[in-house]
Amino acid sequence: MTRQLAPHPSTKPTKPGPAAAPKRRRWTQRTRRDFFVFLALALPNLVLIAVFTYRPLVSNIYYSTLDWTLGSPSATVVGINNYVTFFTSDDASKVLGTTAIFTVVTVGGSMILGLLIALALNAKVRGTTFARSAVFAPYVLSGVGVGLVWLFIFDPGYGVLAWLLRGIGQQSPQWINDPQLSLVMVILVYVWKNLGYCAVVYLAGLQSLPQDVMEAASLDGANGFRRFITMSLPLLSPTTFFLLITSLLSSLQAFDLIRIMTPLGTGTSTLIYEAYLQAFGAFNRAGYSAAISVILFAILLVITVFQLRFVERKVHYS
Amino acid sequence: MTQHLDRRHFLGLAGVTASAAALAACGGPSTSGTPVASEAAELDFSGVKPAAKIDFWSNHPGKSQDVEKAIIEKFHAKFPDIRVNLVTAGANYEEIAQKFQTSQAAKSGLPGVVVLSDVWWFRYFTNGSIIPVDALVKQLDIKLDDFRKSLVDDYKYKDKQWALPYGRSTPLFYYNKDHFQAAGLPDRAPKTWQEFGEWAPKLKASSGAQYAYIYPALAGYAGWTLQNNLWGWGGSWSKEWEITCDSPESIEALQWAQDSIYKNGWAGVSSKEAADDFSAGLTSSTISSTGSLLGVLKSAPFNVGVGFLPGGPKAETNVCPTGGAGLGIPSGITKEEQLAAGTFLKFMTEPENSAAFSAATGYMPTRESADMKAVLAQTPQIQTAVDQLAVTRVQDNARVFLPGADQELAKAAAAILTQQADVKSTMTSLKKTLEGIYEKDVKPKLG
Repeated sequence: MTRQLAPHPSTKPTKPGPAAAPKRRRWTQRTRRDFFVFLALALPNLVLIAVFTYRPLVSNIYYSTLDWTLGSPSATVVGINNYVTFFTSDDASKVLGTTAIFTVVTVGGSMILGLLIALALNAKVRGTTFARSAVFAPYVLSGVGVGLVWLFIFDPGYGVLAWLLRGIGQQSPQWINDPQLSLVMVILVYVWKNLGYCAVVYLAGLQSLPQDVMEAASLDGANGFRRFITMSLPLLSPTTFFLLITSLLSSLQAFDLIRIMTPLGTGTSTLIYEAYLQAFGAFNRAGYSAAISVILFAILLVITVFQLRFVERKVHYS
Repeated sequence: MTQHLDRRHFLGLAGVTASAAALAACGGPSTSGTPVASEAAELDFSGVKPAAKIDFWSNHPGKSQDVEKAIIEKFHAKFPDIRVNLVTAGANYEEIAQKFQTSQAAKSGLPGVVVLSDVWWFRYFTNGSIIPVDALVKQLDIKLDDFRKSLVDDYKYKDKQWALPYGRSTPLFYYNKDHFQAAGLPDRAPKTWQEFGEWAPKLKASSGAQYAYIYPALAGYAGWTLQNNLWGWGGSWSKEWEITCDSPESIEALQWAQDSIYKNGWAGVSSKEAADDFSAGLTSSTISSTGSLLGVLKSAPFNVGVGFLPGGPKAETNVCPTGGAGLGIPSGITKEEQLAAGTFLKFMTEPENSAAFSAATGYMPTRESADMKAVLAQTPQIQTAVDQLAVTRVQDNARVFLPGADQELAKAAAAILTQQADVKSTMTSLKKTLEGIYEKDVKPKLG
């Protein structure tokens, strides 16, 4: 089926000429002018998107078929070998596992803690304005600065945490050197930094809930917990859905904290960080890194499509 | 002329745009032929006029930004027709390498002179990213034989000189003299690790410090300093291109290191920078670069002693690796820029500038004729580093020539020293990884 540009409402229909196809009308002067206006407005953006988004995307897919050392003027075409190498190496399970743990815990942690904080902030007591600002502040701080400060806090030699632990006769864990603890450390800081965003968005959601319905439920004898489970939570589902998409996407692309707190990615090498390390770290395997980036792109695409097709159906918009 | 804009036309337009993008994507590296390190055709700079401006990419090793600026000002006074722009191209050798490799890939924005570390210059050579400096040495009369031989020879490969030494260092044994005195120990570095093993419990008991010794941070250059332990026990990461990290001697050395932490409990592992941990009084001793010397002397609130690296049961001497950075010239710039870069390279490494750099940082003077009297009067500890040069050993190929190997060594060391992993199985696995890197990333490029 061919769809035509809708004519402007004020445009009078013209008589079809003898040569005109029955379903394709010739452009009027008005629609032609509209088309040029459309081009003038949209083309610069389309060109920018094509050059700075789609061109690198296509380039990246092309590079993923090469055995290319970054900086080398030549490369060898290897087809899907980089993908095969990734999925058959020990790295794949480690990197995908780390990505899954990091994503699930940071998204889940930020959303659950954010919701709890939003409920607390929604209470009509003094000091909530200050508390709201304080909770949101870490979100707007630079990830690099946050990472550096928390590194000092976690330092097992002279960090604040080590000092507190020594006060109760305990040695500090090796947060930075032990790969498993490194992941815990980065997750804790990431959740701390991002839960303010979830809290503020949830708070906005809570404040827009229909108060008459909530009061009616209260009059019917529903207690606070029951009102939350059976009414607030379902009515908050559009907020939850929005946060789920945005948090998942940003968590899968988290970079700054990992880069600053664990430069070698020991224990914290998520897909995006592994792609960085392979190309720009010690290995300079640009083709292999491009393949990992394509895998990440595919995962993000699948998650987004899945969420839009299936999860959104469960959302109550009213 | 009239046209329709239906979905077909719109998709067509989008298709043309996407195709243009796809065609544009077909840039990047050439895919004809196998990448083999180029032999670099003979360079001839006769008749070439030096460029008026070049960039110098540095990470200012040893907090050397001020002294670098001062030397550049002197250069401008002597060569007013060549302007050198000092660029902070990274916080460490890895970041500067990242920027350099990216500029190579983009084929733009390359500097005239770049700081390159011991683990990066060979990669630049295999990629054809730097030129041999022999022609410039000849044309500009650079006194190659006045450079300290062990330092300048580090950049020789296939009878060509690929860089000149700049911020060169060795590890040094740093110790807290006050702690040693309180423990009744002699005022010197231990001759062997066995000797230190006897001292360590006394040190820990009397000093109040958390550790008698702290291993350098693994995320830094664990593979560099651990060569000292391996060599002392008769082991190594590799011998030429044969990976030997799983030899009985290597395993014994690393087992001893692991025991010092878990079994004997007197050693720890630095999380960020061992020199800072030492200055902060967290440990009674450590091993760190000579480049940290002035920083430690300034910041430590106690008497600092330095000495040669301890030996082991198999070798008491020649157990110290060289390290640090040199200066190279990219191949992707014009001959005019390369000549200007060569002129600057020569000036930067002149004996008086080498001495000035050494005085400001603690890095070793790279020239035999550098007048170090004033420097040594001010910082006599630098003499220990200079004396130790005579007993240094060329680093293992596995660490300096295999791309990414340093990171793999650090991961293996982390497993052994912070997670108490089984030494033998960790080294067996490391050997497999290193052999894979050699077969894939190095052997084909050596031709």
